[in-house]
Amino acid sequence: MELWQKARPAVRKKIAIFVLIGWVLLIIGDRVDELRVYQGAQMAMYTIALASIVLLTGYSGQVSLGNGAMMAVGGYGAALTLNNLGSPIWFAFLMAIVTASLFGALLGAAAARVSGPYLAGTTLALAVGLPAIANQFAFLGGEPGLLFDVGFPPERFGDEFTQYKWFFWIASFIALVALFITSNILSSRFGRTWRAIRGNSLAAELCGVHSSRMKVLAFTVSSGLAGLAGAVLAMTISLVAPGAYGLALSFALVTGAVLAGISSLPGVVLGAFILVVIPEISVALADRLGDADKLNNYLPGLIVSVLLILSVIFTPNGPGENLRKHRHKKPAH
Amino acid sequence: MIRKTRIKRTWLAAAVIASGSLLATALPANAETGVSASEIKLGITLPLTGAASPGYSKIGNAMDAYFKYVNDNGGVYGRKVTLIQKNDEYSPQLSIAKTNELILRDKVFALVGPLGTANFTAVHKSVGLAKRKVPALFLNTGFSGFSNKKSYPSSFMILPSYAMEAKIIAQFLKENHAGKKLGIVYQNDEFGIDGLGAFKAAGTKFDVSIPYTSGTQSAATAQTWVSQLAAGGAQVVVFFGVTSATAPLLAVAAAAKYAPQWILGSVGSDPLTLRALGVPVAVLNGAQTPAGNPSPNDTSDEYVKQFQEINTKYNAGTAFDDYVLQGMNIGLMTVQALRAAGKNLTRKRLVRAMETKGSTFASVAYSPLGFSRTSNVGHTGYYMAVMDANGDRKPFGGSVTLYTTDSGSGPVVKSTFKRPAMPAKGLPSNS
Amino acid sequence: MQKVIETLLIGLSTGSIYALMSLALVLVWRSTRVVNFAQAGQAMLSTYIGFEIASRSEIFWLGLVFAIAAGALVGAGVDYFFMRVLFKHAISGPAAVVAPVIATLGLLGLIRSIVGLTWGGEFKSIDAPASTDGFTVGDGTIPFSNLDVLIIATVSIILIVVAYIFQRTNLGLALRASAYAPEIAQLAGIKTAQTRTIGWSIAGAVGGVAGMLITSNNFLTPYSLDLLLVFGFIAAVIGGLESMVGSVIGALVLGIGLTFILNYVGTSLVFIGGFSVLILVLLIKPDGIMAKGKARRA
Repeated sequence: MELWQKARPAVRKKIAIFVLIGWVLLIIGDRVDELRVYQGAQMAMYTIALASIVLLTGYSGQVSLGNGAMMAVGGYGAALTLNNLGSPIWFAFLMAIVTASLFGALLGAAAARVSGPYLAGTTLALAVGLPAIANQFAFLGGEPGLLFDVGFPPERFGDEFTQYKWFFWIASFIALVALFITSNILSSRFGRTWRAIRGNSLAAELCGVHSSRMKVLAFTVSSGLAGLAGAVLAMTISLVAPGAYGLALSFALVTGAVLAGISSLPGVVLGAFILVVIPEISVALADRLGDADKLNNYLPGLIVSVLLILSVIFTPNGPGENLRKHRHKKPAH
Repeated sequence: MIRKTRIKRTWLAAAVIASGSLLATALPANAETGVSASEIKLGITLPLTGAASPGYSKIGNAMDAYFKYVNDNGGVYGRKVTLIQKNDEYSPQLSIAKTNELILRDKVFALVGPLGTANFTAVHKSVGLAKRKVPALFLNTGFSGFSNKKSYPSSFMILPSYAMEAKIIAQFLKENHAGKKLGIVYQNDEFGIDGLGAFKAAGTKFDVSIPYTSGTQSAATAQTWVSQLAAGGAQVVVFFGVTSATAPLLAVAAAAKYAPQWILGSVGSDPLTLRALGVPVAVLNGAQTPAGNPSPNDTSDEYVKQFQEINTKYNAGTAFDDYVLQGMNIGLMTVQALRAAGKNLTRKRLVRAMETKGSTFASVAYSPLGFSRTSNVGHTGYYMAVMDANGDRKPFGGSVTLYTTDSGSGPVVKSTFKRPAMPAKGLPSNS
Repeated sequence: MQKVIETLLIGLSTGSIYALMSLALVLVWRSTRVVNFAQAGQAMLSTYIGFEIASRSEIFWLGLVFAIAAGALVGAGVDYFFMRVLFKHAISGPAAVVAPVIATLGLLGLIRSIVGLTWGGEFKSIDAPASTDGFTVGDGTIPFSNLDVLIIATVSIILIVVAYIFQRTNLGLALRASAYAPEIAQLAGIKTAQTRTIGWSIAGAVGGVAGMLITSNNFLTPYSLDLLLVFGFIAAVIGGLESMVGSVIGALVLGIGLTFILNYVGTSLVFIGGFSVLILVLLIKPDGIMAKGKARRA
């Protein structure tokens, strides 16, 4: 209650909205079947992952294609903690954030001197090569990966409370908390500083901003978020394996981010929705068109790529931006 | 002020989308999932594309072809059998995602023939097959861990375990290749390690031992395997891996003019697939391999002959090889299992039928089946075979000498088991 | 000693294929200032077309010719239909920096999906144009074959041709001018847009050759050229995106280095090795070994 008293009205409103969303999700979770609940957990995971991209690319202007790799780091961090230290789940998730942030800081430090396509290419190399790295060390479980078992739902929820619903609860809770914190960070002076650097880093430096330090910070925080998303992903499949964090994931994330508005945090919900819906659509399409296996393998990739290209060409800053330009036909200032 | 309203509106919009996206009608309870008056839905996950797909990708279509044949002849007590195939590219977490689809969206009655050791281990744990009581019949993997009934209460193997295979090869090495320098190349996961462990327990000493990580097989990596084997002077090389790794190994060895006695594990030894992958027939000539079935070219065998006919009619365009034979055989056994479960088909009854009647089912393989109330084990033995100059497989020593054993410390014994005759026209009539 | 020579030779052969890919990337960079990640996709498409011809006619060289032609056409097509549209639309906002990169990635995915839908994902192979048997030296056989010699020879010829075009012809001058100072080039009467398309075309053709050569000893799938792209990129970065010679040297060094790691250490460290080299070069000399020292901005 102390917190409530101290908080500014804007923050109070935000807390209220998040609590409301949480309630709504709780009710929905009770009403839908298992498949939807499972997809809900996936959506929650995607919102966290997309938030990390919004922070890194949308706000601080650094293009990274290695978010999938950062998610992997978080996933492995969580699994190793859970399996070897026997720690409670929340600690495992915390370690996911910590390990991923550390790696992010390293990558950020290396990346601070490069930008644009060089950064993209380097992070692409990371995304492509991560499976190989995971395969190399035995303690990482190799290709089959490590088990990540968050345990069964508490007994008092009864027999009808399925494992996937439990995942949904945990994932949604984590997503809400993470988005809340991220939203606050982005509207704070950190967020403003990042946007200044993105816009014109020379001018920002003249104003006293330590550009490369802030860039590394952006990488660190964004990687922490990605790591958390990676741990949530691991929870939903009870497994941490290199194949789960491959190039296809990084691709999908970039697509989701661009589609949803690369600098819009609320947009991550839309982006997450689209990412979960695409496989559904492609399965339905493939069934309709016949010759299921060939189609099923390449149709999702086709849809994602086409969406990505269209959105990059026509709405590079997200549909929100286009709507705004349309409505306010004022000269830019 | 405007900006704050817009932000709030966007969050609310986000909330609406979040809720709207999760709404779906609750489904009415079904008699038994995947079974209707007219249809039985079965599901399989296997690599249809990707590094491990050569050869194995044919299994699903072969099963499907057999089911179509049965459907055209009355189905199972009037119900059609439908097989839904999902491609998992041999990747465990794709197997999980696809199995979720099969169970939650397609609502299949049971899984049949899911392929891959790491894949099934991941699926069983993650999707919670045991808790959901979903049966998984005739796993396309020989990992001996799956025979543990307590951990895998509703899953049933069909292939002899890799441990069994290794023990039989070890015996063969002792009897026919004593005193020679031995090498082994194996896939570095539970599949290969299962075999390696059994070799160790049987006392086989390998002078050169090369693990490879699944997915890294290529001409370049095979180069390093061959260099190591040649440097170690291995005269007999055992290979425990997938077909797409056997191929570069043999091809590179041929190019480097290194020609040991090859002993190819059953998983990666189909001659037709190897030749399609570019292995010259000359290299295959003389390669030895444990086999459970007759050669797919042996039309004097009643099972092979019938399956070939079904293949020509229902799976036209696909050459009949080991994998097609395997797929059809799984189909044959599945239909027997479904029939044995009775007209009132439930998952529980299917499991019970496998436990009580499974060991009597007709199958193309020569060894006895080990299904029982306490055991998930399928076939229990192999005979050694040799490939000839045409890439065909003939029994070593001229006629089939069947060996059976278990996955533990039991002995390897010669068996005189006679397999059941094939049901007339390949259509089971058991109950 | 023999092992060292073996490794060196194989590294040379592998490195020369990387050189082709990195050359293609540098070509596009120098004529458009875009790093074209879709290069692998174009090369893949060209290789599949080459595969179709080669397997039907049983003549590798015919397939190669078609691959080159396809590569040139696809390259020109991508520039004409895709890049021009892109540059017209996505020019403002925070995504301007990001847009070309993401767009070429999207294109890569698109081409891959189309290839997969058309040809399926099964392994395909092309019969090599030369024997893959190793040379016999004394008692043993070294894993360096006629095919490897052929690869090195082909790559060298292409490099010489491309270098000649770029340095000695008017076309090459126009290409370089259009990239560095488009307005001035236009004032001098050069049709920059057309010239750029030609640049992409040449790059596409070179990529097609790379794809055919590397597939002659490996399998062809919609994913088989991904690693080529990554290593080609790393090579280009090592040598400096501005310098064609640099990228070739970088590729050879990379090829030899990676083969040493493969032979002496182990398979899985190959990728870590490549990635570490990339990071190292970016940290120490971000402009590449051959560059004259200018800030590496987009």
